[in-house]
Amino acid sequence: MTLSTSSAHISPSTAAVEDAIRAAADRREPLRIEGAGNWLDAGWPVTGTTPLSLADATGIVEYTPGDLTLTARAGTPLDEIARVTAAERQWLALDPFGPPTSTLGATIATASVGPLAHAFGTPRDNVLGLEAVTGDAEVVRTGGRVVKNVAGFDLTRLFTGSWGTLAVITEATVRLRALPEVEESWALIVDESPEELDALLTRLRFAPLEPLALELVSPSLASHLGVESGRVAALLVRLGGNEGSVRSQRELLRTLSRPVAAPHGVWHALRECEPERAAVARFSAPPSRMAHTWSAARNASGASTQTFVHASVGRGIARCILSVAESGAAERLVDAAARFDGTVIFERLPADLWPRTRSESATGESGTGRLARGIRSRFDPMNVLNPGILGEL
Amino acid sequence: MVHSVNRDRLAADLRDIVGERGVLARPSELLTYSSDGLPTYHKKPALAVFPHTRDQLVRTVRRLAAEGIPFVARGAGTGLSAGALAEGDAVVIGLNRLKQIISIDPVNRLALVEPGAVNVSLTRAASAYGLHYAPDPSSQTACTIGGNVAENSGGPHCLKYGVTLNHVVALTVILPSGEIVKLGNAEGESTGYDLLGAFIGSEGCFGIAMDVTVRLTRNPEAVRTLLADFTSIEDGARATSAIIASGIVPAAIEMMDGPTIRAVEASIYAAGYPADADAVLLIELDGLAAGMDADVALVERLCMEAGARTVRVARDEAERARLWQGRKKAFGAMGRIAPDLVVQDAVIPRTKLPDVLRTIHEIAEREGIQVCNVFHAGDGNLHPNISFDSRNADQSARVHRAMRAIMRACVEAGGTITGEHGVGLDKLEYMPLIFSDASLDAQCRLRDVFDPDRRANPGKVVPIHSCREWSLAPAARDRTRQEATA
Repeated sequence: MTLSTSSAHISPSTAAVEDAIRAAADRREPLRIEGAGNWLDAGWPVTGTTPLSLADATGIVEYTPGDLTLTARAGTPLDEIARVTAAERQWLALDPFGPPTSTLGATIATASVGPLAHAFGTPRDNVLGLEAVTGDAEVVRTGGRVVKNVAGFDLTRLFTGSWGTLAVITEATVRLRALPEVEESWALIVDESPEELDALLTRLRFAPLEPLALELVSPSLASHLGVESGRVAALLVRLGGNEGSVRSQRELLRTLSRPVAAPHGVWHALRECEPERAAVARFSAPPSRMAHTWSAARNASGASTQTFVHASVGRGIARCILSVAESGAAERLVDAAARFDGTVIFERLPADLWPRTRSESATGESGTGRLARGIRSRFDPMNVLNPGILGEL
Repeated sequence: MVHSVNRDRLAADLRDIVGERGVLARPSELLTYSSDGLPTYHKKPALAVFPHTRDQLVRTVRRLAAEGIPFVARGAGTGLSAGALAEGDAVVIGLNRLKQIISIDPVNRLALVEPGAVNVSLTRAASAYGLHYAPDPSSQTACTIGGNVAENSGGPHCLKYGVTLNHVVALTVILPSGEIVKLGNAEGESTGYDLLGAFIGSEGCFGIAMDVTVRLTRNPEAVRTLLADFTSIEDGARATSAIIASGIVPAAIEMMDGPTIRAVEASIYAAGYPADADAVLLIELDGLAAGMDADVALVERLCMEAGARTVRVARDEAERARLWQGRKKAFGAMGRIAPDLVVQDAVIPRTKLPDVLRTIHEIAEREGIQVCNVFHAGDGNLHPNISFDSRNADQSARVHRAMRAIMRACVEAGGTITGEHGVGLDKLEYMPLIFSDASLDAQCRLRDVFDPDRRANPGKVVPIHSCREWSLAPAARDRTRQEATA
């Protein structure tokens, strides 16, 4: 299948974004940029009030399976991309936490990732080019539609993960991969004591194993996901490749532990495990310190069964999810983050707690803070794009 | 041009920082630094300065900042876009003496290196731990990690492993103003804008990397190298498309056409390629040993189905190294054909390979020139090379006309103008083919944050007229005026 339309003209939905930004700048009414709206309750102190929805900017613009690239409008849901590419035995290897209706544009704008980042990297590694409208209503194209490109300064990387504060992404070209010939997932029972965890992760690091994802889940999360681990932590291993390679990796897992088949749909369930009202933070440090990072995140979560912790062990990142229905839980998370000797990034918090979390590096008087502010003022001079979402930039 | 009195004073100041032998000022000494890997361009810098330590680098940059003097950072000078050339009042800052591999962390698979560390020396140092540095430009025995960061360099194995951008986790950068900033985070996730991503590939226009933290990659358990030979370049292109579409991700798929094969085979790098073939594919598969045989068999079958005469699997490491050496030294081998060589670096969608290669052949026939194609077929990154004699004005004109026609054909096929060599000076004129005025202006805005005076590698990457706010940068404006009247 080849879907193709000319990319030279500006599509109506891009023109609408352009108009909305121009009007917002004229009226000094900041915009709040929305994709599927899944993250709007994350509590960020965005001062933008006028919604700018990308919900109508949907559809696949170009897909040539032989090129393993796809161009789609920003509002296209990830599950639609998954459906279309699966018909060609391909996929976009990005599985951000949240509902599958999350849009391509929001995934890129927020640089959101999931377990597959272990093997396939983050949006910055998978996005080839963008169309975006800057805060002064200029339509710009970055990168291109081919898999390798160093022409010009890299606005693709700059806009990816900029939370809509520099430009509103209206279209993106992404790299696809072939779906593995064989795929299967296993759960390994894990002893969470730092020594045992360290020993297991060290063995995994040197083993002839190339998993697609390697995600440690806390006992409560394992049980929520239906993993038969008997209320202890589990390591979910997603294997993919040809028959021979998957078979040998499966055998290898048997030498490390007693793997049980992971429940069907476990990765989807993991992506959507967040309760409706949650506080979420990611703790990260070098992977060699994973056991330490894991216990910091586990301690932050407390003993409540309403809290989940999972970690991308190859990347050294633990994600802690607390239900804010439990009083004091979110405060506990913020306090634990302050004590952690690594990096903490918050995803969701009650609005009143955000001011306590801002890291100096992003907004302070440091060189990078100054560069960030300089970039912000040049790409959104009227301060109309999601102001406040990254703090006082 | 800096007045000679000022130049002498500056040279003396810089000698105070880097020592007597760390500054070159005589025209004969500067000759080496007046071109890079693309010998068709020549620009003579005012001075060349070579810091031995990061502290000397900082003092050098700050000295130049205090005087408002432009500079061009240079690694090994192997670049293929005339990106490391300086002229007029600009000073070359040579980083090749800052070549220390500061530390290797085998557990987290990270290395911290100085910018002048040679690419292959990092892989050698990492090999003690069963690790390597994945991006492997053909110039890897000479090119530096700092230069790789500036150009976002690729290499044959980037098909599977990604380019420099995907392997750098943090940088310490000295901005043109002399301020030092840390970009990225080697100890966890990064927060805020991806300034690291913006810096990588900025071709020396945003500042100088003082140290680089890179990710190391585990050596694969198994490696198989295949050589498939074809009687037409289209067949080779179809085999490439079939392999990509099959879902196998080879570490590399490299193509060489007939003229390249014969140039290599006639040189000291003769690799045993069949000299009568019109194309060969050098395909490397790596990864887990289990399942490897099945992938090798599938690749062999796909090549044969696309019309390969033979597919041969290298029997041992020596044969594998020989096959690769022919590929990596192909540029050098072309030096035998004619005194001058122009190299292109366009990338096209992979399904367009057969069409575009046919078009390139037609253009070459029409202009009566010889094109040698040696390139990264797996990611559609073409390197049409044209050998010629620049003393022959008519031939030069035909070559340059052909280059422009080839570039247009690649862009019309949905491609881009450079996949790994960078824009530099060489591809400036093509930037408007792929970017609108607004898009180019947006790139200028980003540059202006890092280098408001536009003193770092001036005149490269984005054509000057594209920058709408050009008049707001007084130092740069003065320089443009000087260039206009030079």
